[in-house]
Amino acid sequence: MARIRRPFRIGAALLVIGLAAAACGSSSTKSSSTSTTSGSTTAVKKGGNLTFALDENLVGFNVNTSAANEYVLQEILDQVWPQSFLINASATPYLNTELLQSASETSTSPQTIVYKLNPKAKWSDGQPIDAWDFWYNWQAQSGASNVTDIDGKPFDDASTTGYNQIKSITAADPASGSCAPSTAIKGIPTTIACGNGDTITVTFSTPFADWRSLFGDLVPAHEVAAGTSWNSGFNDPTKVLSGSWYEISKYTENQSLVLTRNPQYWGTPGNLDTITFQIFNGDTQAAPALQNGEVQLISPLQTDLSIVQQVKQIPAITTKIYGGLEFQHIDFNQSDPYLALLPVRQAIALGTDRKQIVQRTVGEFDPSIVPLGNHMLVPGQPGYQDNGTAYESVDVTKAKSLLESAGMTMASDGYFQPKTGPQAGKDLTFTIKSTSGNSLRANIEQLFQADMKAIGINIQIANEPAATLFGTDLPKGQYQLALFAWVSTPFESGNQSIYCSYTNAANCGSNWVHYANPAVDKLLAAGATAASPSAEQSDFQQADVLLWKDMVTLPLFQGVELTAWSNNYANIVPNPSSVGIPWNAQLWGAKAS
Amino acid sequence: MLAYIIRRLAYSVVVLFLSTVLVFVLVAESGDPLAILRSNPHVSHATIAVREKLLHLNLPLWDRYWYWFSHAIRGDFGQTIAYQPVGQQLWQHFGVTLRMVILATLIATVAGIGMGVFAALRNGRVGDRASMTLNFLFLSIPTFVIGLLLKEFVAIPLNQHVNRIVFYTSGEQSPTLTGGFFSRLPDYAAHTALPVITLVLITYSAWAIYQRSATLDAIDSDFVRLARAKGISPGRVLTRHVVRNALIPVTTVIALDFAGVLGGAIVTEQVFNWQGMGTWFIQGVSTLDINIVLAYLLITAVFVIGFNLLADILYAVLDPRIRYD
Repeated sequence: MARIRRPFRIGAALLVIGLAAAACGSSSTKSSSTSTTSGSTTAVKKGGNLTFALDENLVGFNVNTSAANEYVLQEILDQVWPQSFLINASATPYLNTELLQSASETSTSPQTIVYKLNPKAKWSDGQPIDAWDFWYNWQAQSGASNVTDIDGKPFDDASTTGYNQIKSITAADPASGSCAPSTAIKGIPTTIACGNGDTITVTFSTPFADWRSLFGDLVPAHEVAAGTSWNSGFNDPTKVLSGSWYEISKYTENQSLVLTRNPQYWGTPGNLDTITFQIFNGDTQAAPALQNGEVQLISPLQTDLSIVQQVKQIPAITTKIYGGLEFQHIDFNQSDPYLALLPVRQAIALGTDRKQIVQRTVGEFDPSIVPLGNHMLVPGQPGYQDNGTAYESVDVTKAKSLLESAGMTMASDGYFQPKTGPQAGKDLTFTIKSTSGNSLRANIEQLFQADMKAIGINIQIANEPAATLFGTDLPKGQYQLALFAWVSTPFESGNQSIYCSYTNAANCGSNWVHYANPAVDKLLAAGATAASPSAEQSDFQQADVLLWKDMVTLPLFQGVELTAWSNNYANIVPNPSSVGIPWNAQLWGAKAS
Repeated sequence: MLAYIIRRLAYSVVVLFLSTVLVFVLVAESGDPLAILRSNPHVSHATIAVREKLLHLNLPLWDRYWYWFSHAIRGDFGQTIAYQPVGQQLWQHFGVTLRMVILATLIATVAGIGMGVFAALRNGRVGDRASMTLNFLFLSIPTFVIGLLLKEFVAIPLNQHVNRIVFYTSGEQSPTLTGGFFSRLPDYAAHTALPVITLVLITYSAWAIYQRSATLDAIDSDFVRLARAKGISPGRVLTRHVVRNALIPVTTVIALDFAGVLGGAIVTEQVFNWQGMGTWFIQGVSTLDINIVLAYLLITAVFVIGFNLLADILYAVLDPRIRYD
């Protein structure tokens, strides 16, 4: 799918964390058992290699920049850069107890989080992981205009969410002076009081319910001080220091990347000697490579029936098919005079046979997928609820009556005709746009076209290359109906820019449907600054109910993912969240027996 | 001859310049390289503004072109949209393509010429018909089908039969490969075999057909009949008079085809997951990365022009009657 699920890594991580925390109902996180949070732990041999097929090129190595914010890079860095919280296969965050002894919310007003670092934690060059790293990562992602990269250019950040709400970072145990590095980082103020100790206190200016999402993929501050740029310095992987189980030992551009055990790692070392990531040009070549024994683990970016059938024919492998975070939906551009009418949008939704669309697309290889009932979450995520039950079944009669109530009359050719407006006296016709070359979406459009004919609406299909659709048509409102995918955002706060009123262009730039509802704005804003994850979830789910009531967009179904691996290996547990398959790669290994 | 070469080179510079202008405008106007980023609700307007500035997308089109051109003539092809140096990527991808293409061209040249001459000498007989059937078969089968058939019915069954990897189906080399060139050679060979066979099969067949036709023309020519009448041995007539003259048209075809595939044997690279020029070009076009597309254009255009010139020069060498005065 052109709107690949991968770029939304950060947002996804945030939502997952927020929701899981809500489910826990706790504001403090102490040590938890790695064995219960890191997946199954079958006995495996020490040593060996596993080769994992990546089906996208790597474009950089600082995943915190928008330029390199790729899912495939996150899959590699899961095992390389230190992360405060990890996300398990149930999309539940848990404290990385090998990096942090604890992370606790000690005050709600102002919101204050105290992180206690493991004093043994260090980078692969022997330098300690300390408050300086937290401080630098905050500064770089704060979005503040007075801080710049070492070359004076603005920081390129994949997201500033949460970091832009931090007021201060201080440290103790021991407080060894200010955060000002011995080598000044150009453009970054050096006056912030901050020790380099192991107890780090983060104070927020406004509450941030998803604070557990922060300080993942920590960039080593001392490396930046030595002249490595945030924006482009990490394009050289030899400069990517490790603060985790594995380190990058070899990289052949666009071909492969090899991780070896980090000899400086202070915790339990990984089982495999090496994990190799082999880069493929696309999805189709990985399955034969798995069959030929060249790779032992694949997880194609796009799952379709042909890949599923291909993989199922390979002997001696384990295959898992599961729901992902991406979801397809149909957008209604409310700047169109007819789609601005609620009855018209409701009629389209009631006339769309979502069950049939599911059955004839992803349902062919995953019968568990059902029509999606939420704009914020997908089935399987904690807190998911079906708010779209009113549109569960097709109701052609009601759809037609809604169109009549909107001032349309049925013509002799079976199509409704508006009495007023640019299409007055003509068959009511809408054009649906999607990304060209995507067979899944082409199928959906054809089924949708047939459904709409049944209720008296003529649908024309006009697909565009992804760059045109997302670069021009959608942002500029040059469409009527659009079919594409969002990735369910964890941080439910990440949904704000899609559904808050389009009139607020600065903050609601992804509201391409020209929707505006002050009540929704209020709920989204309240959710984004909620003091607790449970309050955040409540606000966003109330907003979702209103989105269904206003029929802003019509969610169709959750995407499906596939992971397959050789039966010779154990402890591989697919993870549908944004951290990807290698979230527990330190436990992977060749079966002992 | 020298004046001709200089004149051709001068034309080529103009053509190259106009090509870069055309490609720059086409790519720049065909979409927004930050489109996917803009569609990400988690990326702020400030971040997008930063990216626009870093990539010079905030400048007028001609300013952007001039910025690229003024750097390119100094050998700096700029950065990709992910801030990686284009020049470094260019030579890396070119090296990958070169490895596959040189080997395939050498084998295909020998096979094509050999098969063409053989078919011409057996004109109308079983050998001719068999070789022509084979040639047309390979010429008509799409490249990806040949590649997939080799994978599915040669590599995988053979590897499973011997319980080790004889032929790799993807990549240029094993990621964990170490040691000197000669210790790496078996791994290179196991990775290179299938893509090279695929390229050979799709290229030699056309060249064999050309060679057969040219050889038949030469056999029927007056100077060959004269050579035979003079009592020159059949072997000498074949090598000195028939094949040498028949090589002239085939030389042009081979030179131009070789220049073409240097730009990337796109389908073969995709099927066997080689990160060559073709794959790189697709990446550049799909991400609307203008610097990649322009660097690709320049290098391929230089080779096409260069090999065109080479073909013209070879014409003169092979046929003394040709003059470029």
